[in-house]
Amino acid sequence: MLEVKDLGVKKGGGYILQNLNFSAGKSELHVVMGPNGSGKSTLARTLAGHPEYNDYEGSIKFRDREISDLKADERLREGLMMGFQHPPRINGVNIKRFLTRVLEKLDGVEGTEKIEERIEIVTKELGFSEDLLARNINAGLSGGERKRLELLQARLLEPEILILDEPDSGVDVDSLELISDQINWLHERGTTIVLITHYGSLLEEIDLEDARVHLFRDGKIVTSGEGDLAREVEEKGFNRIYEECGCN
Amino acid sequence: MVAINNTGTKSQKEVSIERQIEKITEEKDEPDWVTDLRYRGLRAFESAPQTDPIISEPLEFLADQEKTPAEGIETLDDLPPETKNLLDELGINEMEQRAIAGLTIQDGTGMIDSSFREKWEKKGVIMAPMNEALKRYPEARERFMKLYDPGASKLAAYHTAVWNGGVFLWVKEGVKEEIPLHLFFLIQQEALAQAPHIVILAEPNSEIKLIEGCTSPILSKHSLHLDMTEAYIEEEAKLDLTVLQNWPEYVHTRPTQRVKVARDAQFSITSVGLGPGKSNITDPHYWVEEGGRVDVDSIILAKEQSHVDLGGVIHLEGENSTGINNSKAVIMDDSEVITRGKINAVASGTKGHISCDGLVMDDGASMETYPGLSSRVEDAELSHEAAIGEIKEEELFYLMSRGLNEEEATKLIVQGFVEPAIEDLPEEYLSEIRKIIDLTVKGEE
Repeated sequence: MLEVKDLGVKKGGGYILQNLNFSAGKSELHVVMGPNGSGKSTLARTLAGHPEYNDYEGSIKFRDREISDLKADERLREGLMMGFQHPPRINGVNIKRFLTRVLEKLDGVEGTEKIEERIEIVTKELGFSEDLLARNINAGLSGGERKRLELLQARLLEPEILILDEPDSGVDVDSLELISDQINWLHERGTTIVLITHYGSLLEEIDLEDARVHLFRDGKIVTSGEGDLAREVEEKGFNRIYEECGCN
Repeated sequence: MVAINNTGTKSQKEVSIERQIEKITEEKDEPDWVTDLRYRGLRAFESAPQTDPIISEPLEFLADQEKTPAEGIETLDDLPPETKNLLDELGINEMEQRAIAGLTIQDGTGMIDSSFREKWEKKGVIMAPMNEALKRYPEARERFMKLYDPGASKLAAYHTAVWNGGVFLWVKEGVKEEIPLHLFFLIQQEALAQAPHIVILAEPNSEIKLIEGCTSPILSKHSLHLDMTEAYIEEEAKLDLTVLQNWPEYVHTRPTQRVKVARDAQFSITSVGLGPGKSNITDPHYWVEEGGRVDVDSIILAKEQSHVDLGGVIHLEGENSTGINNSKAVIMDDSEVITRGKINAVASGTKGHISCDGLVMDDGASMETYPGLSSRVEDAELSHEAAIGEIKEEELFYLMSRGLNEEEATKLIVQGFVEPAIEDLPEEYLSEIRKIIDLTVKGEE
């Protein structure tokens, strides 16, 4: 479904991502781990179509099609969605109006009651009260609430592949549980998930049975393995694993 | 060509103004004292300073009365179709159809009066054409042209000499009305000075909302809207004024307000400039007495080559009075927006705040802001904040990553920027304003 070949992304003269190879098939769960600044977020943002990273080297194919000429909105409509690590606040834009607009656009219909109903149901499932819908996008929300709002949108937009950039950072325990439940649910329903994280606490709640785990270092994937690798990282830390695999 | 002189002979400009005065007075049959005031304006004209950065020659815009509108227009159905469409654009017909609002329209320089006048009069709200009010109501006479100096500028002098049309709005003591009154200005002739004079008297303990709409059909090419509002908000009275402007790009607008806010009274003005015209320069003055409050909210959508300059002073003259001046500007294309509101605290316990937000959309667009605070007392609380910026890339990326294209995302951000300043307006206007933003704002290509 997603195939990344020899991906290189430059910023300020140096490479943030280099010779990166990665692929994800339908319904798979991929966990991307690595220390801060190793390029994980850049990968997510490049895949999602951030204009800053549009001049990449190599190729990104989604459903057998090179997506370099697709803008972020077009990628979403193709079925590729990214959940932000730091979802920005957008002043004056009401969440309900925004979600309705986005769904109308995706479904190509206007103002149906069904859309409203769907929004309300998913809002509750994500542990929000209806007051949330009257607020502005990411305004006055805690870290956990912001990440839950990202998953709420994923539930509504139903992408084929969902790239989650640290859905667990800055999140309290209760939100963590809601978030991991949603990830499991989406995965079980056949959504391909690329989960970027650098700690294991979220992973304890995620079913890693068929997961592929990739370790990042300096802009590339240095080693990959099964779900156990995530637990190993948690126990030993990145440096020891890098040493053991000769990835230094 | 211009003969400036102090010898008693008239310059060409004075002759031209005098000709206009003669024509106006001939048709209006106005009292002598009103005509005398016009001549005061004429005498002040030559020596008045030329302060306007755009209009160097007010006489390019003649306020003659050649085309008075057709008589017998009682309801909106009687209006010419193009005028009706304009009101549609401003969302007015819907309001009218629901038969809730009062409506007076100034078409060119004459008045079209709606049948709502009588109904309002029964409630204790008098709305009369200015020239009629000056003959009929001492309350109008006592307050007419009292709050400003015709010698302050060429345009002030010109307005004094050739003012035409406008209304007297008089809300009697204790009358409280929730339903807003509507007043609309349309410009239809070319090279026309539309100089309505408005006097508002809100007697003690009264409460009223007034909505002014201004627009012009595509026909007129070069026009000046030179209005003057004098408002007297008496003890504990409350006036909410909303001004919606949607002028085409070739109309110059110079709205001027002079407002006296008495003890514990409140005046709030929300002016929404969806199309500020070729240029829009304002210099309102508000004098606030003890415990009184003034709120000035300006929303500007500047496009093409508009030049917008929002000045004005809130004078906090009474103890514990409050003045707030907020502006929000979306600056597009090659337009320019300057804000230079001032708050002047003279009495103790006063509070004032100026805030100014600008969203600059294009390379050719620019914004400058000069908030002014001055205090002559120790315990005044005065503050200001300003933020001028562009649309943040991350916000745009976020909205696009949810499936909105660049233009849709841009529009949503602009609407969100404007929204907090307009959210208290009636729903009909909100949807209209959103529609106009939608039509005006383009995405970065």
